[in-house]
Amino acid sequence: MLEQLLIFTRGGLILWSCKEIGNALKGSPIDTLIRSCLLEERSGDRSFRYDAPGASYTLKWTFQNELGLVFVAVYQQFLQLLYVDELLAMVKRDFSAVYSPRKASYRDFDEVYRQLEKEALARGEANKGLNKANRKIEDGSSKNTDLRGGTVLRGSVKGSAGTKGQKDGKEDDSAADHKPAAVVDKAGHENGVTNGKLSSSDEESKPVEVAFDRSKLQKLKAKGGKKTNAVKKEKEDPKKKVKQDRKPWDAPATGKLDYSEPVRDTNDEEVVEVHGKSLVDYEEDEESDDEEAKDEKAPAKKGWFSSVFQSVTGKAALEKADLVPAMKALKDRLMTKNVAEEIAEKICESVAASLLGKKLGTFTRVSSAVKEAMGDALLRILTPKRSIDILRDVKSAKDEGRPYVIVFVGVNGVGKSTSLAKVAYWLKSHELSVLIAACDTFRSGAVEQLRTHAKRLQTTLYEKGYEKDPANVAREAIATAAKTKHDVVLVDTAGRMQDNEPLMRALANLINVNKPDLVLFVGEALVGNEAVDQLSKFNQTLADLSATAKRKPIDGILLTKFDTIDDKVGAALSMVYVSGAPIMFLGCGQSYHDLRRLNVKSIIKTLLQ
Amino acid sequence: MAQVELRRFSADTALYTTAAVFLVTLLLLVSVLVASLRRKKRNTIVILGLSGSGKTALFYQLRDSSLYEGTVTSMVPNEDTFLLHSEISKSGKIKPVHVVDLPGHPKLRPLLDDYLPKAQGILFMVDALDFVPNVRSTAEYLYEVLSKPLVVKRKLPVLIVCNKCDKVTAHSVDFIRKQLEKELDKLRVTRTTLEGSDVAAEIKPGIDGEPFKFSHCVNKVTMVETSVITGKVGEVQTFIREQVKP
Repeated sequence: MLEQLLIFTRGGLILWSCKEIGNALKGSPIDTLIRSCLLEERSGDRSFRYDAPGASYTLKWTFQNELGLVFVAVYQQFLQLLYVDELLAMVKRDFSAVYSPRKASYRDFDEVYRQLEKEALARGEANKGLNKANRKIEDGSSKNTDLRGGTVLRGSVKGSAGTKGQKDGKEDDSAADHKPAAVVDKAGHENGVTNGKLSSSDEESKPVEVAFDRSKLQKLKAKGGKKTNAVKKEKEDPKKKVKQDRKPWDAPATGKLDYSEPVRDTNDEEVVEVHGKSLVDYEEDEESDDEEAKDEKAPAKKGWFSSVFQSVTGKAALEKADLVPAMKALKDRLMTKNVAEEIAEKICESVAASLLGKKLGTFTRVSSAVKEAMGDALLRILTPKRSIDILRDVKSAKDEGRPYVIVFVGVNGVGKSTSLAKVAYWLKSHELSVLIAACDTFRSGAVEQLRTHAKRLQTTLYEKGYEKDPANVAREAIATAAKTKHDVVLVDTAGRMQDNEPLMRALANLINVNKPDLVLFVGEALVGNEAVDQLSKFNQTLADLSATAKRKPIDGILLTKFDTIDDKVGAALSMVYVSGAPIMFLGCGQSYHDLRRLNVKSIIKTLLQ
Repeated sequence: MAQVELRRFSADTALYTTAAVFLVTLLLLVSVLVASLRRKKRNTIVILGLSGSGKTALFYQLRDSSLYEGTVTSMVPNEDTFLLHSEISKSGKIKPVHVVDLPGHPKLRPLLDDYLPKAQGILFMVDALDFVPNVRSTAEYLYEVLSKPLVVKRKLPVLIVCNKCDKVTAHSVDFIRKQLEKELDKLRVTRTTLEGSDVAAEIKPGIDGEPFKFSHCVNKVTMVETSVITGKVGEVQTFIREQVKP
C-alpha cells in the first residue's frame, strides 16, 4: 500500500496529502527527493529510492507543469506497486481540474482520491494478470508449440480475471488440446465478466465526480469504455496470434517460431520499458497519442496565417512532439561542446519533463523556450551546493589545531603534480604554510618532480622515496605536519586508470587511513565520454570501499588543461553532473599562477552558443 | 485608412500581418514602459534563508495567516502582491506589498540576482532551533547577501528573522547574533577570490580592521524573534511596513 501521496506546488506549499493513510513518514523522503533528484536535473528518472535509518521508500512523481504542481507517491521499497504510475496520472488529471491558484485547501478531494485509488487498484490487479498472460505467451511459444493456442488463451483469461494461479495453467496443458473450443468459449465468458467488473468500478467513481465537472465525467466514461475495449482487444489479440501461428502449421516448424517472434519482442519491450505498466496502459497511451497527433495535425492544415496567429496569441500546452526537434538540436549542440552523450541525453530528458504541458508565452518559439529552460537547468547543475571556500575550511581546521589535508587523485597524465604545485602556490600566497607529501611512490621521477616544485615554491616536502606504501607515507606526513604546525598537507598520489582494481583499492585505503578533508579529483578538460566513466568509477570505488559508515566520495574537481579546449567546455558539465561535486579550480596555463575559479555563467554561455 | 488597410489585405496578406505585428509591438512597448515606470516605486520584500528555515511558511503566514498542510522544499520562488493579512479588514487605500520567497537550496541562490534590483528590504530567516549545525552555511549565505554591491550601495535594510522561537530548545537571539558575527568575521578574512570568479564584485561588509558587528554595516541589520508556526510575526509585519509605506 501507499505510504503517502502528496500534492504540492513547485513553490513548496503542500496542497493535499492523503490524510487517510496518515502514516508519518520516517525521515524526510520528500525533501530529499526534491533536493537530490528534482533539483539536480534528474527528474527524467522513473523513480527515486530513499534510504535512511529505519526507512526505505520508493518515490514516484509526476509534474503538472502548466499549473506548477508536483505529485509524489511514497511507498515501501520492498513493495512492487504496479498501479502507482496510473494512480498518479489519474490524480493529476482530476486534481488539475479542481485546482485554482488562490485556493489552498482541497479537503473535498479526499473522496475523489478514494475512488481513484479503488479504480487504480482494480486496474493494477487486472494489469498484473495481463502481465502474467504475456509471460505465458512466451512460455507457450517457446516450450510446446502445438499447445500454444490453448495455453495462451487460458493464460490471458486467468490473468485478466486475476484469480487463478499460474500452476493451474500447467496442469491443464494436456487437457487443452482436446477441447480448445471450450476454452475459447470460457475465455469469452470470462472476458465479459472482467469487463463488467472494470466498467462497474468506473461507474462507482462517477457520482463523486459529478460534483466537479460534467464534461470531464463524460470523458472519463469514454475513457473507461475505451479501456474495456482495449482490454477486450488485448484479449482478442492472442486469438489472432494463434490463428496466424496456426496457418503455417504444415510448414516447417522454424518458420512458425519466426511468426511469433515479433509479437513476443514487443511484449517484452513494453514490460521492460514502462516498468510494470501493462499492455492495457500501452493501448490507452497509444490512443491518446493518436489524439494528440491528430490535434497537432489539425492546426497545421489551417495554413501559415493561423500559425502566425498562434505565435501572437501563444500556443496551447507544449506536447512531447513539439519538444523533440528542439531537444535534439540542443542535445547535438551540447555534444559538439564535448558533453558526454549520456549526460546530454539525461539533461535533455529532465528539461523536457519540466517543459511538458507548459504554455508558451506570446512570441516565444519552442526552441527559445527550450534554450532558456536549459540555461536554468545548467545553472542549477553547475552552481555548487556546498561551500567551495577552502581557505575558510583551512582556517577552521587551524583553529582545531590540525592540518587541513587535500588528496589529489586522478588518472595518469592529467596533471596532478602540476596542479598540486599550483594549489600550493595559491595557498602560500594567502600566507598558509604548506607541506607536500610525495605519495606517488610508483612512477620514476615523481618524487624528484615534486622536490623541484617544493624548492621553487619554498615549501616543505615530505618524502620517503619509492616502493613504500603510499598510505603510510601520507599518514607520517600528516603527523609531521601537525608537529611542525603546517596548515595544509597536499598529498600527491600516483595516477591510475579507473579500471585497475588493485590500484583503486590502494587509493581507497589511503583515503580510509588518512581521512582527508578534501578529495580532489583532477581531470582533463579534454576528455569527452570518458569523463563520465572515470569520475563515476573513482566515486564508486571510494564510496564502496569506504571503511567508515559515512561514505566519502570525491569532494571537488580540479579541471586541468582548460586553456587548450577553446569552446569545448563540456567536460566540466559532464563531471559535475556525474559526481555532484563542484569544480573548485581550473588549471589554465603552464605557470604557477594559472589557477582560476570556474565562472559558471560564462561556461553556460559557451555551452549554449 | 480602412480602405488602405483593405487594399493591402487583398494585395498581400503578409503586409497585413506586418501591420498587425507592428501594432502589437507598439502595445507591448507601451506596456513595458508603464511597467518600468511602476517599478520605480519599489515595494518588493525578499525572503531569504537556508532550506528548511521556514521561508515559505512565513510567506503564507503573511499572506493568508494560515499554514495550510505544511510545506516542502521549494523549487521555484513564491511571489505575490498582496495586503498583509492583518490589514485586510482595515479601511482606506493601502499599498500592497510584493513579497518574494526564494528557495533556500544552494543551487537556486543565483535567483537572488534577478530579484535584488527590485527589492526594498530583505528578510533573512534563521532556524533558531537547528542553528548550531548550520551556523557556517547560514553565515556564508548571509555574507553573500551582505556583500552584494546592490545591498551595500542601496543600503537595503536586512531583518534577520530567528524562526521557531516557540520551541524550548531554540537559541536566543543574542546567541545567534554573536555566533553569526563571529563567523562573518572569519569569512571576511578568507573570502578571497581567484581570478575569473563569479564573486569578484563583492564589497566587504563592516569596518576593516575591527571585529565584525552587524551595527557596522552601512545598511541597517536588525534581528527579531519569531515563530511562524504560532503566527507570531508581528515584528516582521512592522518591518515590512517600515520599508513599504502603506
